[in-house]
Amino acid sequence: MSHAKYSVINTPVHNIDGVAKVTGRATYTFDVTLPGMLYGKILRSPHPHAKILNIDATRALELPGVKAVVTGKDTLGIKQGIWRRYEELCDEQILPLEKVRYIGEPVAAVAAVTEEIAEAALDLIDVDYEVLPAVFEPLEAIKKEAPTIHEGVERNVNVTRHIEWGDVDEAFEEADYIREDWFKCSGQHHMCMETRAAVSSFTPDGKLTVWTSTQSAYYHQALLAGVFGLRDGDVRVLAPYVGGGFGGKFEIDSAQFCSGVLSMKLHKPVKIVLTREEDFIASKRRTPMFYYVRTGIKKDGTFCARESRMFSNGGAYTGMGATALYLSGFFHSFPYKWRGYRYDGYRVYTNTMPSTSMRGFGAPQAMFCSEQQIDWICADLGLDPFEVRRKNGHTEGYEVPGQAFIASCGLEQCINEIEKWVKSKGKLPANRGIGISSCGFMSGGIFNWFDSPYSFSSAVVTINFDGTVELHVGCQDIGQGSNTTMAIIAAETLGVKIEDIKVHSGDTDHCPADLGAWGSRQTLMAGNAVKMACEDAKKQLLEFAYAEMGINIVYDLDIKDRWVHIVARPERGLPYGDLVKKALRGKDGQRIVGRGYYTPHRKGMISPAYSYMMQAVDAEIDPETGKIKIYEVMTAHDCGQPINPLGLIGQLEGAASMALGYAYLEDMPFEDGKMMNPNLVDYKVIKAPEMPKTDIIEIDTYEPEGPYGAKEAGEGLTNPTAAALGNAVFNAMGIQMKELPITPERILKALREKKEQEAQK
Amino acid sequence: MINDFHYLKPASLKEALAMYAEHDDCKVICGGQSLLIVMRQGMVAPEYLLDIKHVKELSYIKFDEKDGLRIGATTTHREIEKSDIIAKKYPVLVAMEEKLASIQTRNWGTIGGNLAHADPAGDPGPVLIALNAEIKFGNSGGEKVVPLDEFFVDYFETQMEHGDLVLEVHVPTPEPKFGCAYQKFNLLDSDMGIVAAAASVTLNADGTCKDARIVLGNAGPIPLRVTKAEDLLKGKKLDDALFAQAGTIASEECAPVADIHASEEHRRHVLGVLTKRMLKKAFEQAQKSA
Repeated sequence: MSHAKYSVINTPVHNIDGVAKVTGRATYTFDVTLPGMLYGKILRSPHPHAKILNIDATRALELPGVKAVVTGKDTLGIKQGIWRRYEELCDEQILPLEKVRYIGEPVAAVAAVTEEIAEAALDLIDVDYEVLPAVFEPLEAIKKEAPTIHEGVERNVNVTRHIEWGDVDEAFEEADYIREDWFKCSGQHHMCMETRAAVSSFTPDGKLTVWTSTQSAYYHQALLAGVFGLRDGDVRVLAPYVGGGFGGKFEIDSAQFCSGVLSMKLHKPVKIVLTREEDFIASKRRTPMFYYVRTGIKKDGTFCARESRMFSNGGAYTGMGATALYLSGFFHSFPYKWRGYRYDGYRVYTNTMPSTSMRGFGAPQAMFCSEQQIDWICADLGLDPFEVRRKNGHTEGYEVPGQAFIASCGLEQCINEIEKWVKSKGKLPANRGIGISSCGFMSGGIFNWFDSPYSFSSAVVTINFDGTVELHVGCQDIGQGSNTTMAIIAAETLGVKIEDIKVHSGDTDHCPADLGAWGSRQTLMAGNAVKMACEDAKKQLLEFAYAEMGINIVYDLDIKDRWVHIVARPERGLPYGDLVKKALRGKDGQRIVGRGYYTPHRKGMISPAYSYMMQAVDAEIDPETGKIKIYEVMTAHDCGQPINPLGLIGQLEGAASMALGYAYLEDMPFEDGKMMNPNLVDYKVIKAPEMPKTDIIEIDTYEPEGPYGAKEAGEGLTNPTAAALGNAVFNAMGIQMKELPITPERILKALREKKEQEAQK
Repeated sequence: MINDFHYLKPASLKEALAMYAEHDDCKVICGGQSLLIVMRQGMVAPEYLLDIKHVKELSYIKFDEKDGLRIGATTTHREIEKSDIIAKKYPVLVAMEEKLASIQTRNWGTIGGNLAHADPAGDPGPVLIALNAEIKFGNSGGEKVVPLDEFFVDYFETQMEHGDLVLEVHVPTPEPKFGCAYQKFNLLDSDMGIVAAAASVTLNADGTCKDARIVLGNAGPIPLRVTKAEDLLKGKKLDDALFAQAGTIASEECAPVADIHASEEHRRHVLGVLTKRMLKKAFEQAQKSA
């Protein structure tokens, strides 16, 4: 339960940068123009797998206006990766020296005085390739006879991950019923409004400044310093506004790398903005996964054991894919108690664009398989899907053996609320069904494969003479509203108003290091750092207040709504503004500075806290065409204490649109390694008028590890939807959808097969 | 990237036709909802763009009980969608426009531009053919009126030659017992149709079928009339079995091409279903009308 009534927290507010954005004043990387700036373009491989024999840029360099052409030979040739602690997983040269491994991989980059000239120059670069045999699917690439994509990597297996607890075989023996299924989960494009972009400026003093679209300014500072042989402190990354990330913008991308190489060669600023097509074919994508799921259950609905194997299409390089491999396997167990659980994940290299993290981080795939299979098992055994989920669900105080400790959990209330909602709908017409799915998600990762020497999150708060507050954070606002969240936490802690707080973020020179916006970590981790920094500053202020007010030391002082007062006698006090002025005089004119940080300790293997939810999707199927009509998405959600209810609604709507897209629309078909729909005509995303109704029931819980009891609320909501839609189709038509996206053709095929099976009986 | 081009902005139809006749490598733009996409892809790179968006003499909606409906070529989709008289007399056109792409596109795109572009997946073509519309086009030398179902020649090709502009669409006044319906099949309601079907039914006084038109969208190189299916219905007393049979014939008669959005088999199947459904809907309207 919530611990207190708050003055700022839990009051809906618009994002503090909303006006700047909707009036076009916000400066995105695309808007940055510097004196003498050049424009860069990237030549990309037309082959999925080929040796680079020779690159001849003579003709390009002769084109008037072209200033430089760079290739792998102009780089340090460092194989980089975001899993910095593990050398073998640092496998990507962004301008490769020897061979290309996917269509769209950068081969050379041009800088010219205009974008048009740079683009024209690409056609004048002559590359000799020796085309090599290529392989595109993980189940093919893992075969002995498949071509080798990375030298020395046997059977193209990039990373494996084993998760196990309990005696799995014994637990299966106790099961009365065992079910096995294969699933195929598709990839998905991040589809940020802002494509990847960078303006790099290397100056003669040896310093590199990069404006870029990033989820973590600190990661990019460190990663770019690494590939360019600079010290971290000599690289400044600026990201004042970012037009979306969704998991795709915290590894080095080709815009950042190539603009940096060109700028260092020319000592001039170079801007590269990827086109929409480049973003589609040569960024990264949600990891496509093949899942084999075997589940054992008792007649009364008690879960015994689960054993799953997963083969993921890793594409050409590792990136964040190694994390997705682990998290998919972990969340595949969620949110249930298994006596025995075993997961073996294999990430397999293929000659396709790399796969990586994307909102949900492997969990949407895992839940699509798990939550559908649970409903099918319930149907097989005549069990109630709500009851079975309640019976086996996580509860407060549960320990996922060796993995995680659950300190707060509102799953049961979520299930109860959705059950009530579904039952209130009564009997549905023919061909219409409501499907449910429950899940949970992490509030920030504990793992440190990046090998950061810094605290996971940090904040510095400075109080000015007039009571205004400068809040410096390293967490990154990518449109999700984290600056607003931090301003709310700071205002609540200091006892001031949101408009007193000025948030500074997205600048590595002026903001403390922070791992950034991924893994649903900022509200909890950066929020704790901000809270700690503000408590530090407030304590300093209150020391002066005690002296000023001359009160008995047994009294507690606090600040609320800019009023410094005795907690027991709130009318006795003084205005916050007066106190600040006095305090500064007492400090010889120094401003009040508070510091805070957060690094998780003794919180298991994955995350300090977990959100929980259950979602229901109400859908109707046209039995003749297979078309799906979605009426409503209803979610019951435990994110601890909501910080900004309006921000939460924004996250829910965004997640629903992305997750529904994943469930029935968005797909990335490839032919011989070439993406077939790299444009917004053929790649389908839900537009605003087509969004079904979405609503949310918040479950009141309190997470002791979170700031003011808060947990994640942005990413986990992407996880349940595909499974819930699958279950809606199952309930409406009695067919089992084992492949994503759930298309009309796949529905009709399943209906035909069902008819044939019934005819045989 | 869009190539550089010369921009021509005529103030009148006469000037537009003269400018078009004068410039060989010239494309007409009237909203650019289709043209700019292919220009961005580099598939079309004209030296001149002739912008007739501001030729106001071609922007009109006129209705006369005897003469029928006349829509000027530069009339926007949104103007058609919001026209009271069209809503009253040709509701199928409004229903079609409401699902044609986004409001932004409908605000800017024009009926003439849409028909001249001749995308077989376009929405207005099948509906207007089902409504028995004709189209007027012309150049500085003269004008020509042809039935709309003869206007389309191939993918993105019409009877028009260089120098020709679409001038007007004419839709006759419906006969007393007439109905017309259109539906596209897609995953998102306002998206382009993966396939589509328009059907119109005219009934005799005795309730038998006087005329039927079935026009399929994205089922071949042009908005496709499936005449065998139409012939099946004429002169008969219509019922569900006939609609289903017509659907089956239509699914055999059409020539859709597979792409990533649907296989050929699925397209044929859905075209059959839509044909059946639109015939039934048009028939029910015809029964109710007059």
